Amino acid sequence: MAIITISRGSYSMGKEVAEKVAGRLGYECISREVLLEASEYFKIPEIKLLKAIHDAPSILNRISGGKQKYIVYILSAFADRITKNNVVYHGLAGHLLLADVAHALKVRIIANFDYRVGLVEKRDNILRNEASSILKKDDHERQNWTKSLYKVDSADSSLYDLVININKLTVDHAVDFICQAATYKELEATESSLHKVKDLALAYRIKSAFLKDGFDVSVTSDYGNVLLYTKGSDRSIQKLKKIAKSLDGKIKGMNNIEIHSGLPFPTNAV
Amino acid sequence: MSIITISSDSYDVGREISEKTAEILNYKCIGREILGKVAEKYGIPELKLAKALDVSPSFPGMNRKLRDRYLAYIKTAVLNLLLENNTVCYGLAAHLYLSEVSHVLKVGIISNSKEPASQDSKVIESDASHYDLVINLGQIDRNKAVKIITDTVVDRKFKPITYSLNSMEDIEMESRVKAVLFEHFPDIKVCAKKGTVVVETKGFKFKKEKKCNSIKELAGKLPGVINMEVHVNSYIARD
Repeated sequence: MAIITISRGSYSMGKEVAEKVAGRLGYECISREVLLEASEYFKIPEIKLLKAIHDAPSILNRISGGKQKYIVYILSAFADRITKNNVVYHGLAGHLLLADVAHALKVRIIANFDYRVGLVEKRDNILRNEASSILKKDDHERQNWTKSLYKVDSADSSLYDLVININKLTVDHAVDFICQAATYKELEATESSLHKVKDLALAYRIKSAFLKDGFDVSVTSDYGNVLLYTKGSDRSIQKLKKIAKSLDGKIKGMNNIEIHSGLPFPTNAV
Repeated sequence: MSIITISSDSYDVGREISEKTAEILNYKCIGREILGKVAEKYGIPELKLAKALDVSPSFPGMNRKLRDRYLAYIKTAVLNLLLENNTVCYGLAAHLYLSEVSHVLKVGIISNSKEPASQDSKVIESDASHYDLVINLGQIDRNKAVKIITDTVVDRKFKPITYSLNSMEDIEMESRVKAVLFEHFPDIKVCAKKGTVVVETKGFKFKKEKKCNSIKELAGKLPGVINMEVHVNSYIARD
């Protein structure tokens, strides 16, 4: 009864590991599905969402918040999915979103650079130098993406429970480790950790709803009681209250919503 | 019949996991207690050797050449012990010089302790590619970490083969030669293969012969050295 997130670089065999783990444990394996759901729910073309998770936001994007909005939509779809439990997710940021969730096993799969270059070379039928620069650019882009949004380095091992190097160790080793770890008592879902995930999903859903109307707010949820934090003026607070009222009864699991202005944003706010 | 290196951000946690692993596998376990013997052999305070393992070279701290020399002494002692195989080695940064030896399982442990960050912890956190496996004890308890290690090391990939044993012997010889020469020739490069040792250094043309002879005299008689070549590069400016 766990959630497993697998973070990976491109061509690091993370996808294969995720699919095998899901197959062995009988879990659902998700990655692109999250994009499709976000695209459908928020009526955004999938290509725009794909670009938002692939390229780090530019300075202009950071000011306008364009990409950030799409990322919130994707995270909202992801958070919704993981409320169902027994999920293996492979893709960006899963481990960061679930950093405080006790029943989430956070794994990173890495592979030797030369080995990865070889895979790209073979797949694209290109020269080694070309393959190497494609991978370097991709790695840089991914690192920048995490740094610009979460202010952490995706290569930092302390963000994960297990880091497995697919070099001497194989995909099957990685699958064994993860499947074994998924049975650990520490990773059993408790009532409180399940609620944490539900609250996270709710907070993201509400943040997305406000973002759709052009308001970037910080949101926390505790057992369905939602607190909304803003630095906005009185006028914008009135508008926020109006949106909050319109959401009443429309979002599943929300009991109550309060708007706070001028207070410091809690660290667990999304 | 393998070697396990364990690095951790906390020396005590690293030791505990190493000792448990060694006990289950019936392996030997070596840690920083060997520094006493190294200190005695080379006449260096033990504290300085430990410092060389923990801090990066800096202007007010330990200078690079001195640190490299101390590390060369430690490396020689560690490799000498690791030749016997079936050993768990912790807290001695051995993963850094055993990266090419296939029968070594390199494990990083993140204990999230509040101890001041050592070189080991910085490497584990910033570059996991030095390890085969990094285990964070936040969610996985120490006994389970031990089980993961003991289950992994029995895999045939970590069994010694002739090539990996030879590599190990070559690395040990390189290190032994370097340790003997370091005090007088800190800029040397050493390469060893099956008893043949090649030493490269820099020097003026007119001192070439003298330098070659003193290097051969110092290191040529070491056990296991069958053949020795010394190359003195006199193009110092180009280098």
